[in-house]
Amino acid sequence: MGIVRNIRQRRWTTVAGYVLFVALMVAGYYYNITFVQLGLIDLGTRLVGMTETTVSMWMAALALVTLVVAVVTGVTMDRRGWSTDLRTKFRLLFGVVCVQFALTLVAPMVRTVPEFGAWIVLASIGLGVGFPVSFSLAIDLVPVPDRGYVAAAITAIAYFLANAVPLSWSIDVFSQLMVAAMAPGLLVLAVLSFVSYDRLDDLLDDLGAQHGIYGTGRFCHGASVRTRSLTFAVPVVLMFGVFFIDSLGFLRIIDTPSLLLSSWQSPELSTRLFIAVAHVVGAVMAGVIYANYSLSRIFLWTFALFALTHVMYTSDLRLAAVFPTIAGNGASPLNPALYAIAVSFYTTLNFALWPDLSTPETIGTHSAIGIGVAGWLATFSSTALALYFQAVDLTLLSHLNVVQALSLLLLFGLAVGLYARQMIELARENGGARA
Amino acid sequence: MNPTEAIPLLIVVLLMISIGGGDVQEMSVTFQGDNDIDSLADVHVVAGGTTTVPADATLEGDVYVIGGTAAIDGAVDGDVTLLNGNLSVNDGATVTGTLQTYSGAAVISSDASVGHVSQFEPPTPSSSPAQRIGAFLLQFLVLGAFGWWLAERHPSIIENVGAAITEHTLVSAVIGSLAATTLLVLFVYMAFTLILLPLAIVGLFAEFLIVLYGQAVFGYLIGMRLPIEADGVATLAGIAAFLLVLELLGLVPYLGGIAQLGVAVVGVGAVLNTYFGLQRFEPITIPGGT
Repeated sequence: MGIVRNIRQRRWTTVAGYVLFVALMVAGYYYNITFVQLGLIDLGTRLVGMTETTVSMWMAALALVTLVVAVVTGVTMDRRGWSTDLRTKFRLLFGVVCVQFALTLVAPMVRTVPEFGAWIVLASIGLGVGFPVSFSLAIDLVPVPDRGYVAAAITAIAYFLANAVPLSWSIDVFSQLMVAAMAPGLLVLAVLSFVSYDRLDDLLDDLGAQHGIYGTGRFCHGASVRTRSLTFAVPVVLMFGVFFIDSLGFLRIIDTPSLLLSSWQSPELSTRLFIAVAHVVGAVMAGVIYANYSLSRIFLWTFALFALTHVMYTSDLRLAAVFPTIAGNGASPLNPALYAIAVSFYTTLNFALWPDLSTPETIGTHSAIGIGVAGWLATFSSTALALYFQAVDLTLLSHLNVVQALSLLLLFGLAVGLYARQMIELARENGGARA
Repeated sequence: MNPTEAIPLLIVVLLMISIGGGDVQEMSVTFQGDNDIDSLADVHVVAGGTTTVPADATLEGDVYVIGGTAAIDGAVDGDVTLLNGNLSVNDGATVTGTLQTYSGAAVISSDASVGHVSQFEPPTPSSSPAQRIGAFLLQFLVLGAFGWWLAERHPSIIENVGAAITEHTLVSAVIGSLAATTLLVLFVYMAFTLILLPLAIVGLFAEFLIVLYGQAVFGYLIGMRLPIEADGVATLAGIAAFLLVLELLGLVPYLGGIAQLGVAVVGVGAVLNTYFGLQRFEPITIPGGT
């Protein structure tokens, strides 16, 4: 692991880069998965008085506007050379955090639909500018071979905090916590953006020059990955699929009180801690796999974990439907734990993938398109589909047995098929074992 | 008992039904509450709560108890099987078939009429030192024969798996734990569909064999560090030492079990990572960096 070598060699500037990147990304991601994804639902329904459907539509709008703003920001960053200017990126990030700080502060005071709409648009702009800028910091701060482990650390810390720290999913609670957490962060970003003295300038100059070494991502060595190439499009589509499945599934789960109260909102600290630890285990596993295997392998694992997770959930629901007496009997924490591992897998992949598919010339555009399309567009589409399901009162229960058997068979067949093909190829090539 | 907890025992019930070969069209399950049943599906499973067959009721079909309490006051024209939970066959009750108990608590009144009572006595390997030594020797013979055969006839195969264990322990542990867990869940849920039950049984057996394969390689690694020249003999000695260490680990509460589990998943991961030893595992080389 590169960070161990850097510590042994006392390369503190590089080590500071790791720490800074992890801290910034953890803060940003924690804000996203708590305040944005959960707090806004509470704000819209409880304080503004909208229906859950209306709030979901606003959330979908937020996703779409964020995507557009992100793509514009990413392309602009690359064209104007901001992607390779560390100070400029810190200044942009400082601006974003200022906007988010103000929005977070005023969020509990929002009471009308127009105010809520304006809040959503401003938040979209902040998020849309923020994530291409923050992801582009990877080329300055994180050595390529360590990106899997760094991504794992970000995922593990953010999800552990989000699950282990008992917070009510209310906008007031989120707002108070975020304001307190963002204030020192703002100060640090202000110093990094505007203060100038010799030691800090030297540090930033050194970090800013690192993109010459770390800028070319893992998948760009040899031939650069173009935005309009299959090499870039396939991961975008696959990640879209993962985000879509997760979002669609999670929207249903958080809408089911019996499932929610026995997992992410359980009054038992041990249950939430169990889920938090599962997130950490999943992130570490994903980091190790990302650093040691081809990209296809981690995608295969992610899909397999999601398939299994949903099979377990649907099987429980199917049983509960067939035997209604067990419906109120509490759910097993194993399902949300497996779900947590699957989510940590693709989140880790998401943090490492886009910088590794980019060069200093394309990091803004690629991270904007990657996260915008895979993350935000998938959220938009899954929300729209969930609303459609709700409108037509769709039930999949009657198909579940056949679908379950088929999905298991297909997944198993795919895994065995890939593995067996490799074994046969090896046996034919070597006529036995190869040392 | 929630659905997830009930699933393993429900699968056992399904297996017993399918092995029994009866023509079962309908199955019902009770999970909670107090229930009086006076009519029966072909098979009724008591998974929780209290289920009572009233004194004036005559039921045709089989009853399985996997949790909760079943009280029979009336007549059951079929078999009653107790896998877990409580069963009472009270005064005046009748069971025409076999009353089979595997686990749980059964109380049968002397005034009840039961066709045949059968109690499953599980083997107790730890009851006598001779039995434990016998089981250990059997395990050693199987693993030793396999390890000896690999070390003598296909040394590069066992060497490849060994290298994955020693040089890439963390990667092997990650892959082993992921693969073992997901495959286990997959096979259990496959079994639950009934359609895929045969495949699930084969899969579970294959998973067990992979664990044994990993254990044999651990023995080989120990054997290679012993002052024995012949690889086959060294592997045999190593496997004996490895199994002995595993036994000793089993005596340490908690940590011993965790260590045994860790060894198993590392072995499984190494076997899978090397395609059963056909290829040496080499992690991806990531360009760039310092």
